Amino acid sequence: MTELLRALAAFAEEPGTGHEQLARSLQLPGTPDAAAFTEVFVFNLYPYASVYLGAEGQLGGEARDRVAGFFRAVGAVPPPEPDHLATLLVAYAQLGTDADADEAGPRGHAARTLLHEHLLPWLPLYLARITELASAPYAEWGLLLGRVLLSEACRFGEPPRLPLHLRAAPPPDLRTDDLDGFVDTLLAPARSGMVLTGSDLVRAARDLRLGLRIGERRFVLRALLSQQPPATLEWLAAHTVTTSRAWCSWAAALPGTAAWWTGRAEHTNVQLRELAKEAGAQPHDHTREPIVVPRP
Amino acid sequence: MSSHEPDLEALNARVSAARAETEARGETFYQGPSRVHLAMFPPKERWDDWVEYDSRAWPRKVEKRFMLVPTTCFNCEAACGLLAYVDRDSLQVRKFEGNPEAPGSRGRNCAKGPATINQVTDPDRILHPLKRAGERGGGRWERVSWDEVLDDLAARLRKALVEERRDEITYHVGRPGELGFTEDVLAAWGVDGHNSHTNVCSSGARAGFQFWCGQDRPSPDHANAEVILLISSHLEAGHYFNPHAQRIMEGKEKGAKLIVMDVRLSNTATHATHWLAPWPGSEAAICLAIANHLIATGAYNREFVRRWWNWEEYLRAEHPEREPSFEVFEEVLATLYAEYTFDFAAAESGVDADTLAAVAETVAGAGTRLSTHNWRSAAAGNEGGWQVARTLFLLNALLGAVAVPGGFYPNGWNLLSPKTPVNPDPPAVWNELHLPLEYPLAMYELSFLLPHLLAEGRGRIDTYFTRVYNPVWTNPDGFSWIEALTDEEKVGCHVALTPTWNETAYFADYVLPMGHASERHDIVSYEQYDGQWIGFRQPVLRAARERLGETVTDTRQTNPGEVWEENEFWIELSWRIDPDGALGIRRHFEAPDRPGEKMTVDDYYGWVFAHGVPGLPEAAAAEGLSPLAYMRRYGGFEVTKGVGEIHEEVVGDAELEDVAVSDLGRVYSRAPKPDVSYSTGAAPDPDDQGRRAAGVEIDGVVRRGFPTPSGKLEFYSSTLVDWGWAEYALPTYIRSHVHPDHLEEGEVPLISTFRLPVQIHTRSSNAKWLDELAHTNPLWIHPSHARRLDLATGDLVRVETHAGHYVVKAWVTEGIRPGVVACSHHMGRWKPHGETQGQRETGPRMQTSDVTLEHDANRWGLTGRSEHGAFRSADADTTRIWWSDIGVHQNMTFPVHPDPISGQHCWHQAVRIRKAEPTDAYGDVVADTEKMRAIYREWLAKTRSADLVSPSGERRPHWLKRPLRPQRQAWTLPTDPREPSGRP
Repeated sequence: MTELLRALAAFAEEPGTGHEQLARSLQLPGTPDAAAFTEVFVFNLYPYASVYLGAEGQLGGEARDRVAGFFRAVGAVPPPEPDHLATLLVAYAQLGTDADADEAGPRGHAARTLLHEHLLPWLPLYLARITELASAPYAEWGLLLGRVLLSEACRFGEPPRLPLHLRAAPPPDLRTDDLDGFVDTLLAPARSGMVLTGSDLVRAARDLRLGLRIGERRFVLRALLSQQPPATLEWLAAHTVTTSRAWCSWAAALPGTAAWWTGRAEHTNVQLRELAKEAGAQPHDHTREPIVVPRP
Repeated sequence: MSSHEPDLEALNARVSAARAETEARGETFYQGPSRVHLAMFPPKERWDDWVEYDSRAWPRKVEKRFMLVPTTCFNCEAACGLLAYVDRDSLQVRKFEGNPEAPGSRGRNCAKGPATINQVTDPDRILHPLKRAGERGGGRWERVSWDEVLDDLAARLRKALVEERRDEITYHVGRPGELGFTEDVLAAWGVDGHNSHTNVCSSGARAGFQFWCGQDRPSPDHANAEVILLISSHLEAGHYFNPHAQRIMEGKEKGAKLIVMDVRLSNTATHATHWLAPWPGSEAAICLAIANHLIATGAYNREFVRRWWNWEEYLRAEHPEREPSFEVFEEVLATLYAEYTFDFAAAESGVDADTLAAVAETVAGAGTRLSTHNWRSAAAGNEGGWQVARTLFLLNALLGAVAVPGGFYPNGWNLLSPKTPVNPDPPAVWNELHLPLEYPLAMYELSFLLPHLLAEGRGRIDTYFTRVYNPVWTNPDGFSWIEALTDEEKVGCHVALTPTWNETAYFADYVLPMGHASERHDIVSYEQYDGQWIGFRQPVLRAARERLGETVTDTRQTNPGEVWEENEFWIELSWRIDPDGALGIRRHFEAPDRPGEKMTVDDYYGWVFAHGVPGLPEAAAAEGLSPLAYMRRYGGFEVTKGVGEIHEEVVGDAELEDVAVSDLGRVYSRAPKPDVSYSTGAAPDPDDQGRRAAGVEIDGVVRRGFPTPSGKLEFYSSTLVDWGWAEYALPTYIRSHVHPDHLEEGEVPLISTFRLPVQIHTRSSNAKWLDELAHTNPLWIHPSHARRLDLATGDLVRVETHAGHYVVKAWVTEGIRPGVVACSHHMGRWKPHGETQGQRETGPRMQTSDVTLEHDANRWGLTGRSEHGAFRSADADTTRIWWSDIGVHQNMTFPVHPDPISGQHCWHQAVRIRKAEPTDAYGDVVADTEKMRAIYREWLAKTRSADLVSPSGERRPHWLKRPLRPQRQAWTLPTDPREPSGRP
């Protein structure tokens, strides 16, 4: 599966010359262009493990350090962005090539560690969101990569202990007086259990007929919450279902990891609904005109 | 998941097949950036037609099409790969970037590589052959044709050869940048005419390494080291800086600790785990304290020492009364360095003992993964500096960190030494102007003493070629060089081969324009990691036109103006020296497969790549290319990786014929030397029956060993003992000429050896981008020192050497050891008022001041500097020059300090620092050449001349390296040697 993984890894990079041939050999429906790449990877689903596994939900931090530590542990120099999806896939492909001959040896052990510690803890959810949000070539790419990883997960089985990233993730707590802290928690997948993209928030504004403030996700979310707190909280609670949907097909191969994510999402769901109730939530009137907030 | 469920195995096979098919065509399957391999280069199959948007057209997207043609940088010796972006419309080079196919540099460059474009487009460059009009040094020139030059020079050279004045032909080279083509030319002419710059550069370090292992420079494996110990600012400057720096950073990323000894807080020091700023010259004391710690604590690699040190030879020579066993040696070893305690080293160096102990523990923890490096720095600064490199290698030798991953590899093993089609016999003469009798152990020619040797009447030069060499500016005592070069009795004809004007070219008879990195052919191979590679420098516009189907027969056809390259020049000149072949010269320059026809550069390099580079013909054939076409296309080829422990190789039976074994285990054989691609070093002497030294017996097995007389690592040097320096038989500490005991009241050491990270001597000064980055050289002085002298940053300071003074600005900084001052030698370019540089008008030039060259008897001076600033030229950027301070030329005030053993000019100066006088002006340089000569004689008196000490009746130990090695009979001491001046 190593060549397949390498080829799939190339699609997490900006498209250029050569992608057409790669897409053809992977039997993808068309070749993605720069605009599609930007929409998926730059604006919505950042292809870095640290965003999904780190306590802050941001690039870098301890999550990235853990990935870098993996490279050091196998005697390699950590690349500049060790937790980038392409890096991880190519590294896994490379280790897999070496490990083929000696699956029980240290290289095989390293390959399984990379898979279980740094790929599988986040990619099922991430790829599910790709297939949901992206257009054809990337959606198909996400499906295909998901199948390859599922096949690898089935081949090795799930280790008894949860990956360190998940064990180290701080417990979710949305009950805070600090609005910034509240928003940060929601936007950190490892804490909220869900992936909330820019596109999701646009959809929320549309669904709730609220004014959409253009900006980065924190700004947009705060704007939504300030307009209709109960409705926005309800909408967010409903959004947690994306997580349980994503992990459905993985429950057999990765029962522990799937349960961790769905459990965290359910916890968020419950807390959001309680908060919405406390905020005096009323069923939202979808007939209302959206509030248009002028851009500064 | 979709209902469409592809067969993943089948899909994997399909992608694999697509990749194989693509790569079989020589194309790249995974193009564009790869986050794992850091490949961010245009795929090589698109180098014929690469498209980029024109940055100047932004925001419009205007496509520009390029041909990407590889060549090799010629700014420093690292020889990093470059890719020239040749505009397909105009066939002009637009920019240079890194060549990913270059094994040493791996696509990465420092600032000097891309700045090659500045040199190519430099408005001040020399485009036509010039001949002086009027007196030499008068600053007036006339344009002449290449034919006129060639005929004149050929006649002079032929006359000198016919009249057996072979010692009157000298080729003096700074940066060779090639693998011996020119040495072969000189050998073909039958002259011992090679003179290098080595003694102002690396002789000290070379000597330290040569006496140990028979190879004269390190090839450290920084990337795999646990501990990296640098006595230099090697991460930012210095030899092989870019290829090594990237590997040092790799090592650090993997957790290696970095120890840096440097008086200055250099950029390198800022990356260090331990930065030591020792008193200049005390570095060897520190190394010995570390060695003592390794010995005393038993942390050394006992088995390596037992097998590979020549301890038995040492015991027999120095302790004949004792049993020559390893246990006895260990007993003795435990006492040899006992006096080098941390306290002793702390007293010598000024670095506290606790820090030294921590550093020693760090070194001890490296095991065999200790990579070390010293090249210039302390080894080039101090009398006895060669012992710095020797004591540094002692640490590797104690830990067994030799030719193993993370350790020190002898350079020759990582250096490709290809066969060539030009194989003349070595010259049968020995030129005493280059290697005088007083310096039998010098690591290469005493080049910087040439003016003094000429002044003493030791010879004259009829025809003197300088190439990439600017001794008036680079060497110490530049005014003595001017005296020599302006005296036509001493130098009959001076020919400067140079792309750009320099201070030496002003005193030439001919100034001949030679190409920059993208305008010439050379092959290069350097020891930059444990592997061997070869790189190709080529005229990129010639290669581009050939790709378009044109035939180019002379590099001048595609170079700017009449700019040429040396190789074609030497071939043409050789034919004109010997037009009928009567002198036996011409035949060496005939095409290998077309006898009687003149060799072309395609003939030469085609032959080398087809016959001299293992694996290259096969790699080329796999892509359907000839070896030459492969190198023209890719510019580099890795011959092998992981050369490993050559010394441990078992010598096979085929190499052992009529064997004799000395009582110390040296194995001699009559079988011929095996054909290997690496450099074996200078061969140790045969036995008295003429058998070749083929190996050394270790525990009953004949192994390849090291190219030393003993075949082992020579902790004890019988060479030094036999040639009159028994006190230095072992690695030891020599107190420098700038040791506090040797300074007079009020004197401080001046450190002048360091480079500025983006500059490279005088070669880079015509690169405007580099000049904007670094253009001046203030005097580093510590605040405590500055306070005593009432100096602030920017104040003018007079720096007085023993033979002159210069005026410079102070830079008060805590980044230097108190009581020591430092000034980089890179700045202060000048031209005499009235020097036209071959143009109609004299006028401002890039990074150069006009000066008055004053001369009154022995007193010389550079005064009356013009202001530097913006000016109009063919390059609009010269109107944008915003800086006015271009530094001071300090080297002219330095007397020569030849180390009596290594021959290295010991650069550090004992100076007095004080506020400038009211009459002093910034940039003033004054020196007295009579004082210079007196100091030369003082240092000459330290030597032990070969005619007094030679144990063999020869001029020099035959096993020591030497460029252009003459035939053996030329090594014999003259029967009636000239009385060496200053001999004790």
